[in-house]
Amino acid sequence: MPLTHRGREILSRVPGGTLQSTVGVGCEIVRREELCVGCGKCATNCPSGASERGDYFDVNQLLDAPAGSRRGALGSALRRLMRHDPDGPVHVPERVTVYRTILYDDEKCLGCGTCARGCPAEAIEALPPKAEAAPTGAADPAAAGAPASEGVCA
Amino acid sequence: MAGATSAAADRKIVAFCCRECAYAAADASANARTPLPPTVRLVLMPCTGRVSPLHLLSALAEGADGVMVAGCLLGQCHYREGNFNAVDRVAFVQRLLKSVGVEPERCQMFTMSAGEPPRFVAAVREMDRVIVGLPPLPRSEASGNREVPLAAARGAA
Repeated sequence: MPLTHRGREILSRVPGGTLQSTVGVGCEIVRREELCVGCGKCATNCPSGASERGDYFDVNQLLDAPAGSRRGALGSALRRLMRHDPDGPVHVPERVTVYRTILYDDEKCLGCGTCARGCPAEAIEALPPKAEAAPTGAADPAAAGAPASEGVCA
Repeated sequence: MAGATSAAADRKIVAFCCRECAYAAADASANARTPLPPTVRLVLMPCTGRVSPLHLLSALAEGADGVMVAGCLLGQCHYREGNFNAVDRVAFVQRLLKSVGVEPERCQMFTMSAGEPPRFVAAVREMDRVIVGLPPLPRSEASGNREVPLAAARGAA
């Protein structure tokens, strides 16, 4: 789990400061792409830039979207018309905002769970860090008290 | 009507028309008794910026062979930039269609001003020519979880 730019900068100023392993401190982020509505709230709130709104759209997200949702409606219309499986992601024009795939970079993620709290579609879930992976003491409050969906940690 | 052949008669084009320009132009052309191709069905929209990808795709899925969006000249939108939204959404729908193997020409955008009925008629005839030149749009049966259609797709029929 890498540090933020700011964290790295502070670390460089600490005399004799070395980066200690933070693996397992953050929440485990579980993303369900088929529920995503592409609002981009996770990207707006993400402190580390791990979530980002991309400039393409994966058509399979439409076809997998649950019925009853707006995307599901569009997907079922498209499924009636389609002659073969989607060729691949389509490039999205500038003014189409919600039909975009949110890019998520595992490497940059701090596991803070901000995206999960802000997600209106409940497509992101922040699970408490796994106890065995966590360094002793570091993840205790989160692992002990927080319900799984809350994502309170770090 | 205007010498429609039997092959062309059962095609349907849904034209989403902006109230401020294209619909007014359609009105004027009707007043002048200019015949429109029998394939076209007009849908009144408050602005082309109201047209969503769902309108366009559900119209195609529910029986239209082509959809067209007719709006104001670029830069002359009554709501400033609604037609720019429409241009991008039409482009997006074209790319969606293309990626699943449907001809992207089935969805097109035209612009005109309220004072240009001939341009509206020309746009509709152009769309009609394209759609009649293509085979009827094949559709699979309604999938079980279909929930759609907005009134727009139905209101046209």
